[in-house]
Amino acid sequence: MEAKYDFERKYRDQVLRCSNCGFCRAVCPVFGTTLRPAYNARGKMLILKEVMDGTIDLNDELIETLFQCTTCAACAESCPSGVNVPDIIKQVRKDMVNIGSCHPAFKGMNEVLKNHTNIYAEDEPEDFERERNKKAEYVYFIGCVGSFREDEATLETLDLLDRLNVDYTLIDEVCCSGVLEDVGYEINEDLVKKNIDLILATGAKTVITGCPYCSRTFINKPQYAGLEENGIKVLHITQFLNDFDFGVTTDKLVTYHDPCDLGRHCGIYEEPREIIRKIAPNFVELRHNRVDSLCCGAGGGVRGAYAKNSIAMARRRLEEVEEVGAEVVLTECNSCVHNLANAKLRKQKFKIYNISQFVNELMEEAE
Amino acid sequence: MEDKTKKALIDIVGEENYTDNLIDLISYSKDASEHRHRPDAAVWPATAEEISAILKLANKDRFPVVPRGAGTSLAGLAVPEKGGVILDLVRMNKIISVSVTDRLAIVQPGVVYADLERALAPHDFFFPPDPASGTVATLGGNVATNAGGIKGAKYGTTKDYVLALQIVLPDGRVMRTGSKCMKSSSGYDLTKLFVGSEGTLGVVTEITLKINPKPSLTSTAMATFEDLEDAGRAVSEIMHSGILPSALEVVDQQTLIAINQNTDLNLPEVEAILIAETDGHTREETQFQLNKVIEIFKKNNASTVKQAATKEEAEALWTARKSAYAVMSRINNSLAVEDLSVPMSKVPNILKALSDLAKKYDLKIPTVGHAGDGNLHPTISYDGTNPDEVKRVEQASAELFEKVIELGGTLTGEHGIGLAKAPFMHLEHDPVAMDVMRSIKKSFDPNNILNPGKMALEG
Ligand SMILES: Cc1cc2nc3c(=O)[nH]c(=O)nc-3n(C[C@H](O)[C@H](O)[C@H](O)COP(=O)(O)OP(=O)(O)OC[C@H]3O[C@@H](n4cnc5c(N)ncnc54)[C@H](O)[C@@H]3O)c2cc1C
Repeated sequence: MEAKYDFERKYRDQVLRCSNCGFCRAVCPVFGTTLRPAYNARGKMLILKEVMDGTIDLNDELIETLFQCTTCAACAESCPSGVNVPDIIKQVRKDMVNIGSCHPAFKGMNEVLKNHTNIYAEDEPEDFERERNKKAEYVYFIGCVGSFREDEATLETLDLLDRLNVDYTLIDEVCCSGVLEDVGYEINEDLVKKNIDLILATGAKTVITGCPYCSRTFINKPQYAGLEENGIKVLHITQFLNDFDFGVTTDKLVTYHDPCDLGRHCGIYEEPREIIRKIAPNFVELRHNRVDSLCCGAGGGVRGAYAKNSIAMARRRLEEVEEVGAEVVLTECNSCVHNLANAKLRKQKFKIYNISQFVNELMEEAE
Repeated sequence: MEDKTKKALIDIVGEENYTDNLIDLISYSKDASEHRHRPDAAVWPATAEEISAILKLANKDRFPVVPRGAGTSLAGLAVPEKGGVILDLVRMNKIISVSVTDRLAIVQPGVVYADLERALAPHDFFFPPDPASGTVATLGGNVATNAGGIKGAKYGTTKDYVLALQIVLPDGRVMRTGSKCMKSSSGYDLTKLFVGSEGTLGVVTEITLKINPKPSLTSTAMATFEDLEDAGRAVSEIMHSGILPSALEVVDQQTLIAINQNTDLNLPEVEAILIAETDGHTREETQFQLNKVIEIFKKNNASTVKQAATKEEAEALWTARKSAYAVMSRINNSLAVEDLSVPMSKVPNILKALSDLAKKYDLKIPTVGHAGDGNLHPTISYDGTNPDEVKRVEQASAELFEKVIELGGTLTGEHGIGLAKAPFMHLEHDPVAMDVMRSIKKSFDPNNILNPGKMALEG
């Protein structure tokens, strides 16, 4: 029988290979929060099997589960059968969009990026009190969340780069638009071109990104191949900062939250820890760390589309912080910072920062 | 689901804990076996009272109710073969109390095995059955299947730890069985009747478990055998030597080949590998036991014997055993995980029979298992979309069960009967025993409400 959808053409074997052991229940943040098996990877694969068997068709009824996945890849990592669920989900979302079944929030995001330069449709870009688009050794690429939701944190990161005498420039950046590929659409070529042109114009040889998702997009998406072709390296800020000594330390008990985009998706686990080791001798791991990290709930379009569950996922993550009694939670992803900070309860006294922001504060205090 | 039944269910559990959405019905249509059937609805109850009300309603309106934990059953136990309502116990996930002084843990049925393990660890206690699915399977599921694991030979299975239960009977009455005492001869052992009853007699709503102090040290060794029979002899000699290893596992040649073909582990493709672990509180104690095991390995012509010097090395020795399921589940799109058990001395005979069956039906039947208690998991990875292959798998399984019974074995050591083995119950249980089981079912559940279609109880 001719496959009806692209997901089947590309991933039929994988969907069938899911042995329904259910081991993904242990790691899926959406299941962990909702306790509803339909949202778990196994539930999603069972639905896709039925679509392939022809007993059901893709339709609006399936939006609630197929669009409710943070693409954190914890399931893929622990799957005995080696099923890469996030890849399958991203493809199915495209198939859904093609037949006109899509979560309104995801559709909205695509519409916004047709007419605006960032996911929040903010038309007044922050200037971060710095000259933009100048010649420099590095471009610092902030990302939408860092630009419009965690701008304070971003300012501190920039202050740190200044303190470290880094020769960088900001650009009139636009959304990298990688997220569109995750929510059923295609990356926006106009935005891609704008970013590449702006980066090339600075003469920089390295782009440092504050957002691990932007890093992933620049490195992995063929549309951004122009960067590599022009000899431009892309580094996440934790990779960049790892080479520095800061000369400051804190006595506070510090822990680290591995962002999915940095950890499972880019394999960057040690660099952030090496930086933290230099500044915080008093360090404790969270129960789920490194490859087993528990998603904060912000990814895959879930924060926009399923805000309540997204926050509940962040709360679960913060329970692990309470468990180890840390006073400071470090991470290096503005989406994670944003979602975790929104979820923090008043009784939870710990503070949440990006590593770069926290280092900057320590250096500032030491002055 | 009729409107009035749906309304009544919602009245009991609340709107947010009732579903008949397509996505939920599909997610409840399967467990980890190849059986599939959708329920008509599902509910997420939070108390025994709600479950009682649901079962009363089910008896009045005559619809099936299927209790469900994590749905990891490998034999179709949790599949709603006749539709009806799934009773998902996931919300009943509280550890009610842990008493080290009385060696007791009291839990709700939806508690995940690993969560109890985590709660007991600070006390240096554990609940020994240790199923390989422990990161997700629920204690209610463990009780209902009488789950076991690699520690079975030394520590027994779930039934050896269940002291008391709270049960909601099919007619809605709530009953407590057993006691909090380590021993009791008081009345019929109703507790044990419910352990392994596969959700056919009542819904477990609270479990009182005996817990064990956890030996702090283990020693591990692995031996390779060119000849399967030698491995078999080594197993039975170890098990009557007076030493009780905390684990004694076997990995057969077909498994080793499958692992090598699908990974870069590069394991020796010998006829069998045995992995033994001993536990205790001092190094002398674990080493004394392991020395004895190693001596027996050598005496029975082990071609190589390796002892792990560190924890990491021990983990490496376990790789072959622990990667088996992952490898098998990647080879093809369908998986039959068998669970036979034979008297220990018959382990070589059944392994031989498996290899004959594989030849006869042109299948690969890699086998791993708990050699120390004779419980083996032959695992067939096959193409479920190929009717001819499906038929060969079915024929081979049927013949295998006959052989198992002929050798004095049992159809299932720890996974249960469910749907997969129901057609073979009569091989193992004589007509009188079947009749007694059916009468028990009838006396508890005359309207056949709870998990119907399982265990050949309908005759
Ligand atoms: C990869 C893999 C490895 C496995 N390894 C092992 C192993 O090492 N040892 C082992 O024993 N099993 C193993 N299993 C099988 C399975 O995990 C066990 O049978 C487990 O006990 C089932 O628990 P569950 O919560 O998933 O129950 P489910 O599969 O949801 O249900 C199993 C049965 O229990 C009944 N039930 C569940 N909860 C209740 C309740 N509260 N009251 C009444 N009835 C109830 C259901 O109706 C059903 O009949 C494995 C499975 C997989 C997929």
